[in-house]
Amino acid sequence: MTGTLQPVLSADPMVRDAAGRAFTDLAADWFRHEATSPDDGARTQKRRSVLDAVAELGFADALASPDAREAWVDAATIIRAQARSAAPIDMAVLLATGDRPASIAGDPSVYECAIDAGAPADAQAAIALALGRCLQICAAMEAALDLSLQYVRDRKQFGRPLASFQAIQHSLAIAAEELAASTALSDLALACMVREGCASVRLPGLLDAAALVLGHAIDVVYDASHQVHGAIGFTREYPLHRHSLNLLRWRDHLHRLRSGELRSAERLGDAALQAQGVWSTVTALMKPGDRHD
Amino acid sequence: MNLHFPIFELPAGAEALRGEVREFIAAERRAGLWQRGGDFATHYDPAFSRRLGARGWLGMTWPRPYGGQERSTLERLVLTEELIAANAPIAAHWIADRQSGPLLLRYGSEAQRREFLPRIARGEIFFSIGMSEPDSGSDLASVRTRAVKVDGGWRIDGRKLWTSFAHLNHYAIVLARTGHAGESRHEGLSQFIVDLKAGDLEVRPIVNMAGQREFNEVVFSDSFVPDERLVGEPGNGWRQVTSELAYERSGPERYLSFIRLAEAALQCAGARPSPRLREALGRTVAKLIALRSMSIAVAALLHKGAMPNLEASLIKDLGTAFEREQVGVYRALRTELAVPSAEYLSALAETTIYAPSWTLRGGTREILRGIVARGLGMR
Ligand SMILES: Cc1cc2nc3c(=O)[nH]c(=O)nc-3n(C[C@H](O)[C@H](O)[C@H](O)COP(=O)(O)OP(=O)(O)OC[C@H]3O[C@@H](n4cnc5c(N)ncnc54)[C@H](O)[C@@H]3O)c2cc1C
Repeated sequence: MTGTLQPVLSADPMVRDAAGRAFTDLAADWFRHEATSPDDGARTQKRRSVLDAVAELGFADALASPDAREAWVDAATIIRAQARSAAPIDMAVLLATGDRPASIAGDPSVYECAIDAGAPADAQAAIALALGRCLQICAAMEAALDLSLQYVRDRKQFGRPLASFQAIQHSLAIAAEELAASTALSDLALACMVREGCASVRLPGLLDAAALVLGHAIDVVYDASHQVHGAIGFTREYPLHRHSLNLLRWRDHLHRLRSGELRSAERLGDAALQAQGVWSTVTALMKPGDRHD
Repeated sequence: MNLHFPIFELPAGAEALRGEVREFIAAERRAGLWQRGGDFATHYDPAFSRRLGARGWLGMTWPRPYGGQERSTLERLVLTEELIAANAPIAAHWIADRQSGPLLLRYGSEAQRREFLPRIARGEIFFSIGMSEPDSGSDLASVRTRAVKVDGGWRIDGRKLWTSFAHLNHYAIVLARTGHAGESRHEGLSQFIVDLKAGDLEVRPIVNMAGQREFNEVVFSDSFVPDERLVGEPGNGWRQVTSELAYERSGPERYLSFIRLAEAALQCAGARPSPRLREALGRTVAKLIALRSMSIAVAALLHKGAMPNLEASLIKDLGTAFEREQVGVYRALRTELAVPSAEYLSALAETTIYAPSWTLRGGTREILRGIVARGLGMR
């Protein structure tokens, strides 16, 4: 029994085949370009071609072998690291706007998803992208919280670091709890993808759950991280806004990929009604399915 | 951020056990042996506990020489989550199986293990927790109950408070001061196995808000405890107590206290379920999946011998806050149900009244958030 107690997403070195490597690059490329290019015609073009390539390759085929699926874990690592750094989005905004900082009124794309970042036609590609969004969102929430934790230790008011005030401690503790729940859920979906492939019957349910839990967690992190920062967090100068704007955009896109937050909730609710049980639905969605080999 | 909940899949054997437990519960319900209701801390039925013992479902992870079955922590998790999700009457054995037994396994003497563990595993003896006192709640290190060394044992003086089921259980593990507190205040504490049926202590009832008698005041006056009932080393009590916390805080009982209400609402959905009910049920499923995967992670870490106290505290705060919020959600949905059943109304009344205790017992929300804050480097 002990043998089965290995973490599913182990960091062990993995063997990859060509398909897996291609997929890793593709996924990384898509997210990189989506995040860095200024919002112009070239960017749109680039996105389309990446999406077409994803759709053409077909995730089921690309992920047909266990080795290839393991490559998803690598892709996830790259996606997370990029989302955490968040530097590109800031550069992009600066490049796109020159001297005049973009305002939300003048340029909705500062935080909204562009239309062409909607759902790819290939259903499995949409699943993979939704999972990628979840990984990005968790990484960005973590980055926002890390900035906040650093800030409250450094910043003093009333002669004490902000971190010494219990109200501050609790508000960031709650945010960290929401992040931990989000990360657990995203990792569960990633483990499901690695094991069962994009066509897994339970993966859509796990992504619906993630859309809901992450969607709420973003509100909590967005609220707490800005509150503890005071006015400095509300500037273009201080880096918190990069993560915040990313979170808002990525949440919009995640929900769009699942056809709306309420649809995610209703689908899961319908599953429970059909199974005649809340708890039995939870255990069924979390029960590992057959390996897709 | 140094929080990590590694993802574990339940082994196939554990999933097989789930089917077995669900059949057992269904058979018990068909036979009318108990009604759905209450939770791990309120629904007390020694006969049920003995039936679990007969199946090898108490102390199931312990070594065979002590009456255990040497099954995995994850199998125990499957058993307990199914029992809790069904509101089975587990309160009698709950503390002994979850916490007192593992404590004795870890710190008890060989003689203590042989004396107590097999009887716990058969469902014959039940344990209470004797930590809180009138002046020591969250600040547990301030306990004043004293144990003084005498010939052949210890003499205990003091009062324990909120001792759940001390009037029905056989033993309590009592935390008492045996020496100087030291600068950390964590020194000089010891744990004793106290026989609640012994004549020289008094168990006084306290009726709770719901009108039930669950907790008690336990008064010691020069009460004698023999040497062989000291648990572990004298003065090591604080370390021993904190080792119980990860078991106490991360299990399914910390996010399923409301489940009866959600299941009852689902049963009242009618032929054309309201979109609001469908949405609420979906949100419940989503958060439960997240909490359960964290809880499984902690169970697996415990199985590997780690002490994930921070992670366990985090789960308890998040889980109990969720439970309390859910009561409000399903109360508001009352008018969306086809016909609110008697079970829904009873579940609503029960969860509403008991909800305040969820974020108190086993460490208050404020204390848990403080532990998380420390883990995040803010204290
Ligand atoms: C149903 C139930 C069953 C129980 N069963 C048992 C049992 O079997 N055995 C046992 O030993 N105990 C038991 N308890 C007691 C439980 O462990 C205590 O209630 C808990 O530890 C809190 O202690 P207290 O009630 O004295 O509250 P206090 O510690 O006095 O706290 C009161 C309030 O102040 C807050 N507070 C305290 N300190 C701080 C701080 N530093 N910063 C911010 N806020 C703070 C608390 O969070 C709480 O909200 C039970 C409690 C309940 C409700």
